[in-house]
Amino acid sequence: MNKTEYLNRLSNELGHMPYGDVKDIMQSIEEHFDEGLSEGRSEEEIAAGLGDPKELANEFKDGAKFNQIMKKRKKVDNGRDGTGRIFVVVFNIFVGVAMWLVLLAAIIAALCILGVDLGIIGVIVASIIMGKITEFIVPFIFLLLTLICVAIFLVVILILGIKYYGKGLKAYIRWNRHVWNYGLGED
Amino acid sequence: MNSQIKKGILDLCVLALLEQGDSYGYDLAGSLARKVEVADGTVYPILRKLASEGVVSTYLQESQNGPPRKYYHLTDSGRRKLNSDREEWLKFCGEVNEILERGETGGKADE
Repeated sequence: MNKTEYLNRLSNELGHMPYGDVKDIMQSIEEHFDEGLSEGRSEEEIAAGLGDPKELANEFKDGAKFNQIMKKRKKVDNGRDGTGRIFVVVFNIFVGVAMWLVLLAAIIAALCILGVDLGIIGVIVASIIMGKITEFIVPFIFLLLTLICVAIFLVVILILGIKYYGKGLKAYIRWNRHVWNYGLGED
Repeated sequence: MNSQIKKGILDLCVLALLEQGDSYGYDLAGSLARKVEVADGTVYPILRKLASEGVVSTYLQESQNGPPRKYYHLTDSGRRKLNSDREEWLKFCGEVNEILERGETGGKADE
Protein backbone atom coordinates (compact mmCIF):
# COMPACT_ATOMS: atom_id res chain seq x y z
CA MET A 1 0.00 0.00 0.00
CA ASN A 2 1.44 3.41 -0.94
CA LYS A 3 0.78 6.76 0.71
CA THR A 4 -2.23 7.71 -1.43
CA GLU A 5 -3.88 4.33 -1.01
CA TYR A 6 -3.34 4.38 2.74
CA LEU A 7 -4.73 7.90 3.14
CA ASN A 8 -7.76 7.08 0.98
CA ARG A 9 -8.57 3.98 2.95
CA LEU A 10 -8.14 5.78 6.25
CA SER A 11 -10.37 8.63 5.14
CA ASN A 12 -13.02 6.15 3.95
CA GLU A 13 -12.94 4.31 7.25
CA LEU A 14 -13.27 7.52 9.24
CA GLY A 15 -16.58 7.97 7.44
CA HIS A 16 -19.06 9.90 9.52
CA MET A 17 -16.71 11.94 11.65
CA PRO A 18 -17.05 15.75 11.37
CA TYR A 19 -15.14 17.20 8.41
CA GLY A 20 -12.82 19.29 10.61
CA ASP A 21 -11.78 16.23 12.61
CA VAL A 22 -11.15 14.13 9.50
CA LYS A 23 -9.06 16.92 7.97
CA ASP A 24 -7.04 17.25 11.14
CA ILE A 25 -6.42 13.51 11.36
CA MET A 26 -5.49 13.21 7.68
CA GLN A 27 -3.03 16.08 8.11
CA SER A 28 -1.26 14.38 10.99
CA ILE A 29 -0.97 11.06 9.12
CA GLU A 30 0.23 12.84 5.99
CA GLU A 31 2.82 14.58 8.11
CA HIS A 32 3.88 11.16 9.37
CA PHE A 33 4.41 9.96 5.80
CA ASP A 34 6.41 13.07 4.90
CA GLU A 35 8.66 12.70 7.92
CA GLY A 36 9.26 9.04 7.09
CA LEU A 37 9.97 9.80 3.44
CA SER A 38 12.49 12.47 4.40
CA GLU A 39 14.28 9.82 6.46
CA GLY A 40 14.55 7.72 3.29
CA ARG A 41 11.88 5.15 4.14
CA SER A 42 9.56 3.94 1.41
CA GLU A 43 5.83 4.73 1.34
CA GLU A 44 5.01 1.01 1.66
CA GLU A 45 7.28 0.65 4.66
CA ILE A 46 5.72 3.61 6.44
CA ALA A 47 2.19 2.44 5.62
CA ALA A 48 2.96 -1.01 7.03
CA GLY A 49 4.43 0.57 10.16
CA LEU A 50 1.30 2.66 10.74
CA GLY A 51 -0.82 -0.44 10.98
CA ASP A 52 -4.15 -1.42 9.46
CA PRO A 53 -6.00 1.77 8.39
CA LYS A 54 -9.30 0.30 9.54
CA GLU A 55 -7.95 -0.35 13.02
CA LEU A 56 -6.39 3.11 13.18
CA ALA A 57 -9.69 4.69 12.10
CA ASN A 58 -11.49 2.79 14.86
CA GLU A 59 -9.06 4.08 17.44
CA PHE A 60 -9.73 7.63 16.23
CA LYS A 61 -13.47 7.00 16.43
CA ASP A 62 -13.19 5.72 19.99
CA GLY A 63 -11.36 8.91 20.86
CA ALA A 64 -14.10 10.96 19.18
CA LYS A 65 -16.77 9.30 21.33
CA PHE A 66 -14.71 10.30 24.32
CA ASN A 67 -14.60 13.89 23.01
CA GLN A 68 -18.38 14.05 22.79
CA ILE A 69 -18.70 12.99 26.40
CA MET A 70 -16.17 15.64 27.40
CA LYS A 71 -18.08 18.31 25.45
CA LYS A 72 -21.30 17.37 27.24
CA ARG A 73 -19.56 17.67 30.54
CA LYS A 74 -18.23 21.07 29.54
CA LYS A 75 -21.78 22.20 28.77
CA VAL A 76 -22.81 21.23 32.27
CA ASP A 77 -19.81 23.11 33.59
CA ASN A 78 -20.91 26.22 31.71
CA GLY A 79 -24.38 25.98 33.24
CA ARG A 80 -22.59 25.79 36.53
CA ASP A 81 -21.05 29.22 36.07
CA GLY A 82 -23.66 31.02 33.99
CA THR A 83 -27.42 31.18 33.76
CA GLY A 84 -28.17 28.80 36.62
CA ARG A 85 -26.51 31.00 39.19
CA ILE A 86 -27.99 34.23 37.82
CA PHE A 87 -31.44 32.60 37.84
CA VAL A 88 -31.08 31.48 41.46
CA VAL A 89 -30.05 34.99 42.59
CA VAL A 90 -32.75 36.84 40.62
CA PHE A 91 -35.50 34.36 41.48
CA ASN A 92 -34.70 34.55 45.17
CA ILE A 93 -34.56 38.35 45.23
CA PHE A 94 -37.93 38.81 43.49
CA VAL A 95 -39.94 35.68 44.31
CA GLY A 96 -38.34 33.00 46.42
CA VAL A 97 -37.36 34.82 49.60
CA ALA A 98 -40.54 36.96 49.60
CA MET A 99 -42.73 33.87 49.22
CA TRP A 100 -41.10 32.07 52.14
CA LEU A 101 -41.26 35.21 54.30
CA VAL A 102 -45.00 35.64 53.59
CA LEU A 103 -45.63 32.01 54.52
CA LEU A 104 -43.56 32.43 57.67
CA ALA A 105 -45.55 35.59 58.53
CA ALA A 106 -48.80 33.63 58.04
CA ILE A 107 -47.60 30.95 60.45
CA ILE A 108 -46.59 33.55 63.02
CA ALA A 109 -49.95 35.32 62.58
CA ALA A 110 -51.80 32.04 63.10
CA LEU A 111 -49.75 31.44 66.26
CA CYS A 112 -50.71 34.92 67.56
CA ILE A 113 -54.39 34.36 66.81
CA LEU A 114 -54.21 31.00 68.58
CA GLY A 115 -52.62 32.71 71.59
CA VAL A 116 -55.35 35.36 71.77
CA ASP A 117 -58.03 32.70 71.27
CA LEU A 118 -56.68 30.58 74.13
CA GLY A 119 -56.41 33.71 76.28
CA ILE A 120 -60.09 34.58 75.78
CA ILE A 121 -61.08 30.95 76.45
CA GLY A 122 -59.10 31.08 79.69
CA VAL A 123 -60.72 34.33 80.82
CA ILE A 124 -64.25 33.07 80.08
CA VAL A 125 -63.65 29.71 81.81
CA ALA A 126 -62.15 31.45 84.83
CA SER A 127 -65.04 33.88 84.98
CA ILE A 128 -67.62 31.10 84.85
CA ILE A 129 -65.81 29.03 87.51
CA MET A 130 -65.41 32.04 89.81
CA GLY A 131 -69.08 32.79 89.28
CA LYS A 132 -68.53 36.27 87.90
CA ILE A 133 -70.86 35.64 84.97
CA THR A 134 -74.38 35.16 86.15
CA GLU A 135 -76.37 36.52 83.25
CA PHE A 136 -76.12 35.44 79.59
CA ILE A 137 -74.45 32.21 80.60
CA VAL A 138 -75.82 30.28 77.58
CA PRO A 139 -74.46 32.71 74.95
CA PHE A 140 -71.11 32.68 76.78
CA ILE A 141 -71.00 28.90 76.60
CA PHE A 142 -71.74 29.07 72.87
CA LEU A 143 -68.96 31.62 72.46
CA LEU A 144 -66.67 29.33 74.43
CA LEU A 145 -67.47 26.34 72.20
CA THR A 146 -66.89 28.44 69.08
CA LEU A 147 -63.54 29.64 70.42
CA ILE A 148 -62.51 26.07 71.26
CA CYS A 149 -63.37 24.97 67.72
CA VAL A 150 -61.29 27.83 66.34
CA ALA A 151 -58.39 26.82 68.60
CA ILE A 152 -58.51 23.16 67.46
CA PHE A 153 -58.72 24.27 63.84
CA LEU A 154 -55.71 26.57 64.28
CA VAL A 155 -53.66 23.89 66.03
CA VAL A 156 -54.27 21.43 63.18
CA ILE A 157 -53.47 24.08 60.59
CA LEU A 158 -50.28 25.04 62.42
CA ILE A 159 -49.03 21.48 62.85
CA LEU A 160 -49.53 20.79 59.15
CA GLY A 161 -48.26 24.24 58.18
CA ILE A 162 -45.01 24.01 60.15
CA LYS A 163 -44.38 20.44 58.99
CA TYR A 164 -44.82 21.27 55.32
CA TYR A 165 -43.03 24.59 55.69
CA GLY A 166 -39.97 22.68 56.87
CA LYS A 167 -40.26 20.05 54.15
CA GLY A 168 -41.00 22.61 51.46
CA LEU A 169 -38.10 24.81 52.47
CA LYS A 170 -35.74 21.84 52.38
CA ALA A 171 -36.95 20.85 48.91
CA TYR A 172 -36.71 24.45 47.76
CA ILE A 173 -33.13 24.75 48.98
CA ARG A 174 -32.26 21.46 47.27
CA TRP A 175 -33.80 22.70 44.02
CA ASN A 176 -31.88 25.96 44.28
CA ARG A 177 -28.64 24.10 44.80
CA HIS A 178 -29.34 21.90 41.77
CA VAL A 179 -30.00 24.91 39.53
CA TRP A 180 -26.95 26.63 40.99
CA ASN A 181 -24.71 23.65 40.20
CA TYR A 182 -26.13 22.34 36.94
CA GLY A 183 -28.17 25.17 35.44
CA LEU A 184 -31.80 25.05 34.32
CA GLY A 185 -33.25 22.29 32.20
CA GLU A 186 -30.31 19.95 32.71
CA ASP A 187 -31.26 16.76 34.47
CA MET B 1 0.32 -8.74 25.70
CA ASN B 2 -3.45 -8.22 26.02
CA SER B 3 -4.42 -5.24 23.85
CA GLN B 4 -6.88 -3.86 26.42
CA ILE B 5 -4.23 -3.57 29.10
CA LYS B 6 -1.84 -2.05 26.61
CA LYS B 7 -4.35 0.54 25.44
CA GLY B 8 -4.97 1.82 28.93
CA ILE B 9 -1.33 2.27 29.73
CA LEU B 10 -0.23 3.83 26.43
CA ASP B 11 -1.74 7.20 27.37
CA LEU B 12 0.56 7.21 30.34
CA CYS B 13 3.55 6.24 28.15
CA VAL B 14 2.89 9.14 25.77
CA LEU B 15 2.65 11.56 28.69
CA ALA B 16 5.92 10.21 30.05
CA LEU B 17 7.62 10.67 26.65
CA LEU B 18 6.40 14.26 26.57
CA GLU B 19 7.84 14.83 30.02
CA GLN B 20 11.29 14.62 28.37
CA GLY B 21 10.37 17.65 26.27
CA ASP B 22 8.02 18.79 23.51
CA SER B 23 7.90 16.52 20.51
CA TYR B 24 6.06 15.88 17.24
CA GLY B 25 3.93 12.96 16.08
CA TYR B 26 6.48 11.05 13.99
CA ASP B 27 9.12 11.25 16.69
CA LEU B 28 6.69 10.12 19.41
CA ALA B 29 5.40 7.30 17.23
CA GLY B 30 8.98 6.07 16.75
CA SER B 31 9.87 6.35 20.44
CA LEU B 32 6.77 4.46 21.46
CA ALA B 33 6.95 1.75 18.80
CA ARG B 34 10.63 1.11 19.53
CA LYS B 35 9.87 0.30 23.17
CA VAL B 36 6.41 -1.25 23.05
CA GLU B 37 5.07 -3.56 20.40
CA VAL B 38 2.47 -1.27 18.82
CA ALA B 39 1.83 0.12 15.35
CA ASP B 40 3.29 3.57 14.60
CA GLY B 41 -0.23 4.89 14.01
CA THR B 42 -1.38 4.15 17.56
CA VAL B 43 0.16 7.30 18.95
CA TYR B 44 -2.04 9.66 16.87
CA PRO B 45 -5.46 8.80 18.34
CA ILE B 46 -3.88 8.96 21.77
CA LEU B 47 -2.43 12.40 21.12
CA ARG B 48 -5.81 13.63 19.88
CA LYS B 49 -7.52 12.35 22.98
CA LEU B 50 -4.91 13.82 25.30
CA ALA B 51 -5.19 17.18 23.53
CA SER B 52 -8.98 17.19 23.95
CA GLU B 53 -8.56 16.40 27.65
CA GLY B 54 -6.25 19.40 27.93
CA VAL B 55 -3.34 17.40 29.29
CA VAL B 56 -1.29 18.23 26.20
CA SER B 57 -1.33 21.36 24.05
CA THR B 58 -0.20 21.72 20.43
CA TYR B 59 1.65 24.30 18.39
CA LEU B 60 3.19 24.46 14.93
CA GLN B 61 6.92 24.90 14.44
CA GLU B 62 8.94 25.21 11.23
CA SER B 63 11.18 22.29 10.34
CA GLN B 64 14.36 22.46 8.25
CA ASN B 65 12.88 20.29 5.54
CA GLY B 66 9.28 20.35 4.47
CA PRO B 67 6.14 21.80 6.08
CA PRO B 68 5.86 22.89 9.74
CA ARG B 69 5.57 20.16 12.34
CA LYS B 70 2.81 19.90 14.91
CA TYR B 71 4.46 19.82 18.32
CA TYR B 72 2.90 18.48 21.48
CA HIS B 73 3.54 19.98 24.89
CA LEU B 74 2.74 18.57 28.32
CA THR B 75 0.52 21.07 30.19
CA ASP B 76 0.53 21.57 33.95
CA SER B 77 -2.57 19.46 34.34
CA GLY B 78 -0.88 16.81 32.17
CA ARG B 79 2.11 16.82 34.47
CA ARG B 80 -0.16 16.34 37.47
CA LYS B 81 -2.01 13.50 35.74
CA LEU B 82 1.27 11.86 34.75
CA ASN B 83 2.62 11.96 38.28
CA SER B 84 -0.48 10.56 39.93
CA ASP B 85 -1.11 7.90 37.24
CA ARG B 86 2.53 6.85 37.23
CA GLU B 87 2.53 6.39 40.97
CA GLU B 88 -0.66 4.35 40.76
CA TRP B 89 0.69 2.20 37.95
CA LEU B 90 4.01 1.48 39.66
CA LYS B 91 2.21 0.55 42.85
CA PHE B 92 -0.12 -1.74 40.92
CA CYS B 93 2.84 -3.34 39.09
CA GLY B 94 4.58 -3.98 42.38
CA GLU B 95 1.52 -5.70 43.78
CA VAL B 96 1.02 -7.81 40.67
CA ASN B 97 4.68 -8.80 40.52
CA GLU B 98 4.56 -9.89 44.11
CA ILE B 99 1.66 -12.21 43.37
CA LEU B 100 3.17 -13.54 40.15
CA GLU B 101 6.60 -14.20 41.62
CA ARG B 102 5.12 -15.91 44.64
CA GLY B 103 3.14 -18.12 42.29
CA GLU B 104 6.31 -19.03 40.40
CA THR B 105 8.16 -20.24 43.48
CA GLY B 106 5.20 -22.25 44.68
CA GLY B 107 4.33 -19.93 47.54
CA LYS B 108 7.74 -20.21 49.15
CA ALA B 109 8.70 -16.57 48.64
CA ASP B 110 8.14 -15.82 52.30
CA GLU B 111 10.52 -18.44 53.57
